Amino acid sequence: MTRRTRRYIFFFVAILAGFAIGVTYGWVVNPVKYRNTGMGTLRMDYKTDYVLMVAELFQSEGDISLALARLSYLEAESALALVTSSIDFAENSNYTSKDLQLMWDLASAIDDAFSPVD
Amino acid sequence: MPRKKINDQTQEIKVKTLRETKRGHWYLLSGLVLGIAAGLIFTWLLFPVVYEDTSPGTLAEGYKEIYRRTIAEVYLVTGDLDRAISRLNVLENDDIVFALGSQAQRALANGQEKEAQALAVLASAIQSLQSAGESSVPQFTPSKIPTEPALPTQTLPQITP
Repeated sequence: MTRRTRRYIFFFVAILAGFAIGVTYGWVVNPVKYRNTGMGTLRMDYKTDYVLMVAELFQSEGDISLALARLSYLEAESALALVTSSIDFAENSNYTSKDLQLMWDLASAIDDAFSPVD
Repeated sequence: MPRKKINDQTQEIKVKTLRETKRGHWYLLSGLVLGIAAGLIFTWLLFPVVYEDTSPGTLAEGYKEIYRRTIAEVYLVTGDLDRAISRLNVLENDDIVFALGSQAQRALANGQEKEAQALAVLASAIQSLQSAGESSVPQFTPSKIPTEPALPTQTLPQITP
């Protein structure tokens, strides 16, 4: 093996070592800390619980515009889709029937609010 | 003559060694730097962090306040203190009562009396529970909730509008 070849080999070994150092630094030594995130990034179980809270308040207040305003913090494209996906999650997570009914009532009210008037 | 020949060879070897010393091992450092740069490009550009599946504890303070306010408003409606505490715990505040109380004061200073009342009532209920040191969490009913906001003792300095 010539000296030149050996230098190339060590050069690429150094690159690999540097790559390993860079990745280790970014993922282990100084990993990303989640901070200042928005509510749209919440995990589905937290989103579902927030939707349930909105449904609980809607049951008491009966104000659909206020409920929609509260749901808008979750940054979903469609409030109805958000609530129905939350209901799906809640059903799979064995939420109580009372909680499920509250969310169904909210979904129904949102659906009515966006339905064309006859 | 043979001695001169030996000297020439020795001289030749010395010159070669000097050249090697001059070149040094900078190529290793160059490789290391290139590798680190590639590693950072990999983690920051090619596979950047995607913010998803976060917990309420990571929310920006403004969103935490919205979340906390909603919990307090729901407590006013349902009176379910156990559930309210569970929900507040996910916000990962060191002192739940202090967080509720200080937010209540800010809301009061901003003229949001309804929000301030909800926050203060929840803070008061949790503080009562803590001071009683009860192991089981009592279930409050909305009728038992006081109408006047009871601010916790541990509060921020009064803000004047």
